[in-house]
This record gives sequence, structure tokens and C-alpha cells, in this order.
Amino acid sequence: MTVWKTSRRNFFAHKGRMALSAVAVLLSVAFVCGTLVFTDTMNTTFDKLFAATAADVTVVPKAPEKDDRLPGNGKPVTVPASAVGRAAEATGAKAAEGVVSSASVTVVDRHDKNMGSTSGGPTIAGNWTRNALRSMELSSGHAPRGPTEVMVDADTADKHHLKLGDELRTITANGDIEARISGIATFKVTNPGAAVVYFDTATAQTKLLGGPDVFSAVSVTAEAGVSDEQLKKNVATALGDTSAYELRTQEESAASSKDSMGSFLDVMKYAMLGFAGIALLVGIFLIVNTFSMLVAQRTREIGLMRAIGSSRKQVNRSVLIEALFLGVVGSLLGVGAGVGLAVGLMKLMGAMGMELSTEDLTVAWTTPVVGLVLGIVVTVVAAYLPARRAGKVSPMAALRDAGTPADGRAGRVRAAIGLVLTLAGGAALLAATRADKASEGSPLLGAGVLFTLIGFIAIGPLLASFVVRVLSAVMLRMFGPVGRLAERNALRNPRRTGATGAALMVGLALVACLSVVGSSMVASATEELDKSVGADFIVQPAGGDGALIVDQAAKALKTVPDIEHLTEYKVVGARLTAPDGTTENEGLVAADPTYKDDVRRETVSGELAAAYGKDAMSVGETYATKHRVKVGDRMTVAFEGGETAKLKVAAITSDDVNIDKGAMYVNITTAARYVPADTLPQNMIMFAKATDGKEKEAYAALKSALAKYPQYEVKNQADFKEQLQDQIGRLLNIVYGLLALAIIVAVLGVVNTLALSVVERTREIGLMRAIGLSRRQLRRMIRLESVVIAVFGALLGLGLGMGWGTAAQKLLALEGLGVLEIPWPTILTVFVASAFVGLFAALVPAFRAGRMNVLNAIATD
Amino acid sequence: MTTAVTIPGHGGEGEGAARSASMRGGGRAAGGRTAVAARARQIVKAYGAGETRVVALDHVDVDIARGQFTAIMGPSGSGKSTLMHCLAGLDTVSSGQIFLDETEITGLKDKKLTQFRRDRIGFIFQAFNLLPTLNALENITLPMDIAGRRPDAAWLRQVVETVGLAERLKHRPTELSGGQQQRVAVARALAARPEIIFGDEPTGNLDSRAGAEVLSFLRRSVDELGQTIVMVTHDPVAASYADRVLYLADGRIVDEMHNPTADQVLDRMKDFDSRGRTS
Repeated sequence: MTVWKTSRRNFFAHKGRMALSAVAVLLSVAFVCGTLVFTDTMNTTFDKLFAATAADVTVVPKAPEKDDRLPGNGKPVTVPASAVGRAAEATGAKAAEGVVSSASVTVVDRHDKNMGSTSGGPTIAGNWTRNALRSMELSSGHAPRGPTEVMVDADTADKHHLKLGDELRTITANGDIEARISGIATFKVTNPGAAVVYFDTATAQTKLLGGPDVFSAVSVTAEAGVSDEQLKKNVATALGDTSAYELRTQEESAASSKDSMGSFLDVMKYAMLGFAGIALLVGIFLIVNTFSMLVAQRTREIGLMRAIGSSRKQVNRSVLIEALFLGVVGSLLGVGAGVGLAVGLMKLMGAMGMELSTEDLTVAWTTPVVGLVLGIVVTVVAAYLPARRAGKVSPMAALRDAGTPADGRAGRVRAAIGLVLTLAGGAALLAATRADKASEGSPLLGAGVLFTLIGFIAIGPLLASFVVRVLSAVMLRMFGPVGRLAERNALRNPRRTGATGAALMVGLALVACLSVVGSSMVASATEELDKSVGADFIVQPAGGDGALIVDQAAKALKTVPDIEHLTEYKVVGARLTAPDGTTENEGLVAADPTYKDDVRRETVSGELAAAYGKDAMSVGETYATKHRVKVGDRMTVAFEGGETAKLKVAAITSDDVNIDKGAMYVNITTAARYVPADTLPQNMIMFAKATDGKEKEAYAALKSALAKYPQYEVKNQADFKEQLQDQIGRLLNIVYGLLALAIIVAVLGVVNTLALSVVERTREIGLMRAIGLSRRQLRRMIRLESVVIAVFGALLGLGLGMGWGTAAQKLLALEGLGVLEIPWPTILTVFVASAFVGLFAALVPAFRAGRMNVLNAIATD
Repeated sequence: MTTAVTIPGHGGEGEGAARSASMRGGGRAAGGRTAVAARARQIVKAYGAGETRVVALDHVDVDIARGQFTAIMGPSGSGKSTLMHCLAGLDTVSSGQIFLDETEITGLKDKKLTQFRRDRIGFIFQAFNLLPTLNALENITLPMDIAGRRPDAAWLRQVVETVGLAERLKHRPTELSGGQQQRVAVARALAARPEIIFGDEPTGNLDSRAGAEVLSFLRRSVDELGQTIVMVTHDPVAASYADRVLYLADGRIVDEMHNPTADQVLDRMKDFDSRGRTS
């Protein structure tokens, strides 16, 4: 009981110090809980949505077995209309109706502005049926009748100020539908961001599905008392041959819809958990440091406790119990903050166009449990080492003056271990750069990163004494005696300086590493673009994400003047049998022969031009090696939805590239010979080259040709590079977000260290003030100490990170990341910023030191 | 009582009288300056207000003669430390005026006061006199470093030799004995040539032998270097090194003694004690 009491009193006696550590715990727990709440809420929203949209039993066409890597041909798979009648006759079926739904459409207003979601939500076109009434209700106007009427959802109408009677053009694979808004329908559940339009069934069938006799699916409604499972069986019986169909109950439909959302949700989740991880990692340092300092500060007190009979275990336990308090307080606050964070994220998503309603806010019982357990366990584990050290304090410490003499032997052992780990890590990194295969190098890289990190943390104190001296020689000399005092103070307890700096180091190392890799990615890609891309212009869907270019847009591009050539590029699925008898599903690139000038490829044998000849193709080096394919061999190619052909391998392309790595090329005309026109995929991307000297005119003409199709973008090479940079820039922004968080937590650590140092040095500060150190000089001294610690951490972190990044690039050179680019401006900015971080961290401790009463400080007790 | 060190002789004057409180020792003053290094007029230092009001100094008038070694004695709670802190510009007074030479320090803002301490005052505390991160020499020159002044090399050498630390200048405080640490503190106080050195029980933490050593340095700095020193102490032996002893009780100067011996001081203290008890 007394242990509890002393722990409790100690905890409250050091409220300020504990508060800083609690913030670290709070931040990490908040991120974890925020992530959980946010993803749970998204799940709830989508669950509700999908449950509302799905019929009791849905009959969908069986998806052809195909590779996820292939984009599909942009044309919908369907069920015959006759299935509707048969399903309706199933026992227990109240009604069945054919549903048309297509997500490969774009809706524009009369100014050709895209009405689709800006947050990546789909645009969906369908037929207005009773099934749609499950999730929507008509709020104004009337249901669409005939090909000139369209209904739109209320969210989209609001966002784009659409009214009844406005004209909308829906661009589909089977041509455009121009129609006026006849009605507006409102979602009964939260619509996270899809834009939805409805037509009457006949229009939807012909324009969206390409014929009057097909549907996307059949939805069957059960009679009262008939379970979905039962109905599913009955419908299967009624349909007879179900080999072409897949039947889903409402539950299964919802699950399947959600599966397709999965990857998007996962990305969010992992990014957030990344933040949580960083906060946690840096937080651990903060906690270790706080408790180490508390223990050091209380050495005499602990010595006294030991002298009057406390056992080591009791002392040890009393520190751990303090950590427990801290963990509980920090985690509880963290869980609360996490919910707030989730709400904030939902608002942020709302601003970006993805609507989530706080009504759906879901806090599962596991969330607080996970948060609490995580926060408490981490805190107690982090406090373990300092607690053990507290237990080792000898009763003699009570009699000694102040502070424990540094344990020289432990320090040497630690430094030795650190050195060994660092060297081992360095060797692993070096080995990783020399690896022949990425798969062999990655574990080496991982081990190298881990070992060097732990090694650096272990030799932190050693490095601190060395690096701080050098830094001081460079930075502090100009500050005269105050600078020297700051240097000595930073050096006084290298272990503490090392640990404080390490907190900053960890975050900055990650950031530096990722920004080196990111910059190298941009540099490598730019270099390759310069080397291999010969086309002047590239046309591709703005959103990416597997969208294809509709034929009418491709046609519009073909009429553009001042163009030397326009290249179409499709990916056609095929089952490929090599001469060695192995069969694989592959996507063949069906392109115009001009493609070889648009994107130049090296060949290891044969001529690429020949691959565009009749019944010829090329294969990639990797495939060729694996299946021992030589130029002149014949491949059996079973085109998806088409015939089987024998194609002669005319070239083998080198795979030492990033663009089109491993691609197999055939001429579009070859593909068209075996694949019927209506199943031949739409273009995935198009390239154009301007007639010499007409680049500007051609660019303008291409843009105006695409004005009616805002879902596609035309880019010249400069735009394209910029886009590439932007994409990686966006990734790096997440990294910088991590950096900001890591810095916030590390700043707390520096504040903590300084605050404690100030308290510890009360008498020294008093003495210095008495013999004439002005407040200003005193504050400057503390600020300089802080800056030195921060810069020390930054130096180590950036150095380590650049090392990691360079090793990663050398390893990834095997995967085409050929150019090492160190983003010096970023590195230097971070370095300089770290000095300011130091200044900022010193604000409060310096202020408090300045306010210290000289007399109290020197009073003899 | 220590006998290991001879108590320095005094100019033959016997027990001093409280009446002639000020103007002695003027002959040792540096040329052109007033004979009084510091003076306090009607200073009051009170803590709290109303019923809890405690008066630590009660209308004290005192003159510190230049070039003299003054000891302030008194029982615990007599206000002797407070008097010293106020004279040294470490603490503020509730009312009254304090002058150092001709400068009034009462009412100075912290910044000026800090400068004043830095440039014109030297300090020796009972313990924790030195910065553990600096070596002995760095500690000695610290006040001048802070002020951005170069120490006078010849003077510094002389001071270092006087306190006998030439061999130990590169040592950190933790590598020095308690006596050596206090000698470094004395050297620091002397090195900047302050107008007055204030000592707050400078030998309080030392054994008698080391204490005597430090005290003789202080004595010598007065005799040989003309330094003005004010020292708070409760040790009669320490006080016996002074030219003049001021006795404080209940925040008032109640007596003074010139050129005391340890026995005289002790007798006087006993006298106070018994009077204190009977009154």
C-alpha cells in the first residue's frame, strides 16, 4: 500500500513533467483510436449504403476468371433479359426485375464540366427501378421516360446547382446520352460521394449495356416469410443452368460491394497507423527519458527509502506504478482525442468531397480497449529500464551529495554494443546495395536499417559528446562564454542528451530516408522519360484507376490536325502458351506500330518493328528467360473473348526499364483479327506526335478535341513530368505530415529535458545570476543548449536517413530506380528548421529559468 | 578553536565601541575615493503583511569602510544574511536606501542590478560556489567572461598565486577538495577586482584547518590588496579575522567590535545569548 501511496504522491508531485509524457502517450493512442473509429465509421456508412442498395437476392453474371492486373475491356458483362422472367417464377419470389448499372460513365453538364465526385467516388448510371427505391426516393420531378430524360441524385444536384430541366450529357462506351433532368432523387442513407444518374430501362439497356436484351443483374424480392438463403436456392432452381450466373443474398451483395472498397479503406488505415507508429516510437523515447530523469532527480530520496528498508523490488515497483498512472491518464485522454480526431478527419473528407455523417460515428467497444491496452503497455514497458535503474540505487546515495555518478562500465558496455550493432547494420546496408536480386537485398536492407537505428540509439551518448563538441565549435563560439556554458551543459549528461536527440533522430531518419527514395523516384522516372518517351503528347483518363478512353473520344482525337501520328494503346487479356507448354494469363499490349517511337524500348534480340508485323508479337526478357522463348518461336495466344492465334515472337525487349516493364506487344490489327470489335477493349492511353514545328497548335487542338470529355487529360512531356512529381510529392506530403508529428513529440522531449535540467541546476543558475549573468544571457544559454541538442538529433537523423535512403535506392536500382537524388533543399531546410525547433522547445524552460529567484537558488539548506 | 593557524595581528586597538560605527580604516582606502565603500540608510526588509508580517531588518543604518574586513554576526534569524543580500544587491529592501560608493542600488531594475553585481561585487557562498562544468580557471574568470571583459593577466596571476592554485587551474570542481573549491571561489571574487566582496558563511562547510586557510587569504587580500570584504558568519574564530564585527539581533545592529579576538567574540556572543534569554 505504501508503494501505491508514494507512487501516487510522486506522480502528482511531477504533474508538469508527467503532462508532457502524457501528451506523447495521448498522441499515439489518439492516432490508433482515431484510425479505428474512422475506419469503423466508414465501414458503417458503406454497410448501410450497400445493405440499402442490395436486393434480397441478386443474380449477376459470373465474372470471367481473370487477372486483377488487367484493366478489362471497358464493356459491361451482362445477364440475358430472359433470366428476369425465370427468376420471377421462382418459389417465394415476389418480384424480379432487371437492373442496369454501369460505373464506366462520365456525366457532364452543358459546359462540359464533370459532375462526378472529386474524391474518387464513382459515377454510376442505371435504370430507375423499384430496386433503386430501396435506397432512394424521388424528391422532385418525375421518373425518367424515354431517351431524353434523366434523373440525378440530390447530392450531385446540390453540389453543381442542377435544376429540373437542365441538360446533362452522359458519356458511355456506347455513345453519349443527351437528356434533360426530369427528376431528382434523394439518398435515404449517407451517400459517401457517388454521383448517380438514372434513365428509363430501355435507354439504360441500349446505351449502357449495348443492347435491349440484357441487364447488369436481376434483383429478386422475396415474399414475406421467405429467407434470402431459401430464395437464393429457389432462384437457382428456376434459372436451371446457373453456370453463367452468380447468385448473392443481400448480405453477400453488400460484402462483395465492400470488398471492392477495401483497398481504398486500407490505404487510409495504414497511413493513419503509420502516424500512430511514429507517435508511439518517439513517445517511447520521451517516456524513457522522463522516467530516467525523474529517477536521477530522486536518487537521494530513493537512497533514503532503501536505507530505511525498502527493497529493490519495492522501489522498482513504485516507479512502474507511476508509469501505470501515466499510461492510464494518457490513454484515457488519447481515446477521447481519437474520437475527436476521427470526427475531424470526417470533416476533412467532407471538404474533399467525401461525405460522411457523424450520425454513423461508430465507436466499437474494442477501440477504447485497444487504445488503453496499447497506451498502458507501452508506457510501462518504456519505464521498465529507468525503474530497474531506480532499483539499483544504493542506500548510500542518500548520504552522497547529489546525482549518481555515471556508471562508467555500463556506459562502455552500451557503447560497445552500439558500435557492434552499428557496424553490423552498416555492413548489412552495404551488402544490400550489392545484392543481385531485390528479394535477396530487402531483408538485408531491413536488418541494416534496424541495426543501425538501435546502434545509433545505443551509441547516442558517445556520439553526443563528440558531435556536440564539433557543433559547438562551429555554432556556439560566436556566443562567447554563454555559448561555452551551453556546450558544457549539453555535454554534462551525454546519456540524456543522446536520448533526447534520439527522439528527434528517429523521426527525421524516416523522413530523410523516404524523401531520398521519393526524390530518386522522380529523378529516375524523369530520366527514363527523357530517354525513352518520344511522343509529344499523352492522353489518359484524369482519374486513373482503370478507366479507359471511350471510342467517341478516341475518334474525336483522330480528327485533330497538325498531328504526325496518333497511337492507340490497349491492353488485351489473353491466355498464353509458351513453346515449353506452360500457360499463363497475360495482358498483351495491342498498339499501333508508331508506339515504338512513342516509347522507345531496347531489344535483347530481334527488331521491335517486326513485332508489329502480321501475326507477330514481342515478349519481355524476363518471360523469355523463364520460358526459354527465342525469336522465331511461336506462341499460342487465346484472346479473351476472341479466338486463339499462333503468333511468332519477333523481338525480345529488355526489362531494364520502368515503363512497360515486361510488356508484350502486338499490333492492334493483329489483335483485331482475333477479337471481335465489340469486345476489343477501349484504349487505355493514347500518344500523339505533332508535325514538326506545329507542337503548340497540335497541343491546343488536342485539348479542344477533348473539351467535351473532361474525364481525359492531354499532357505534353513537361506536364507529364510535373504530374509525376506531383504524385510523388503527394506521397511525400504524407511523409512530411509524419515529420511534423515526430517533431511535435520530440519537441516535448526536448522541453522535458530542459525543464528538468533547469530544475536540477537551480543552484547553479542562482550562482550565475548572483555573480552577474543577466536574464538574457541565462535564457540564451538555455536556448543554445536546446538548439545544440536539436541539431545533434537532426544531424544524426538526417545522416542515418540519407544512408538508409541511399542504400534503398542502390537496392531498388535493380527495379529501375537508377538515379540517386538527395533532396538537398529539403534536407537543409529540415536541418535549419531543427535549430528553430530547439529554440521553440527552449521557450518555456528558458522563461522559467529567467524567473527563478536568485536567493532561493543560493539559499543554503 | 583552531590553533594551527596564527590569527593575524591587529593594529593594537582593543575592543571597539559601538559609538564610532563608521569612519575607521579610511587610511587604507584607495586614493580619491570615499572612505565608505557602501552604506545603508534606514533599511527595512519585511516579509508578509498584517499579522503575519515578519521584519527581518528594522531600520538598519550601516557603513562599510573601504579596505576593511567586516564581519556580520548574530544568532539564527537575526537578519544577518538578509542584510548581506540586500547590501550585495541580491535582495530588495522594503524601504530605505543602499549606496555602493555613490551609486544608489535600491530601486535599480534587475538588469542594472545584475550588471552592478557582475562589475562591482564579488561573492563567496558557503557551498556550491563553482560551476561543475567549468574548470578552476574558467570559474575564476567567469564573471569577466560573462561581462565580455578580458581579465588582467598580471592581476590574475597574482591572485592565483596568492590563493595557491597555480597547479590546479585545469581541474574541475569535483576534482578539488572543499578547501580548494572555496579558494577558487575566493580567487574568482578577487579576480574581477570588485569594490566589495561579500561572503556568506564562506567557511561554513570547511573543517577548521581549511577554513583558516581561506580566512587568511581573505585577510591577506584586505591587507595586501586593499580589498573590501563583508562576511556573514556565526563562527567566532572566523569573525576574529575581521577588522570589525557587527552584531545583529532581531533585525537591528546591536553592537560592534573592532579588531576582535575569537575569545572576545565568543564572550560577546554568550553575552547576547544570555541577554536574549532573559529579556
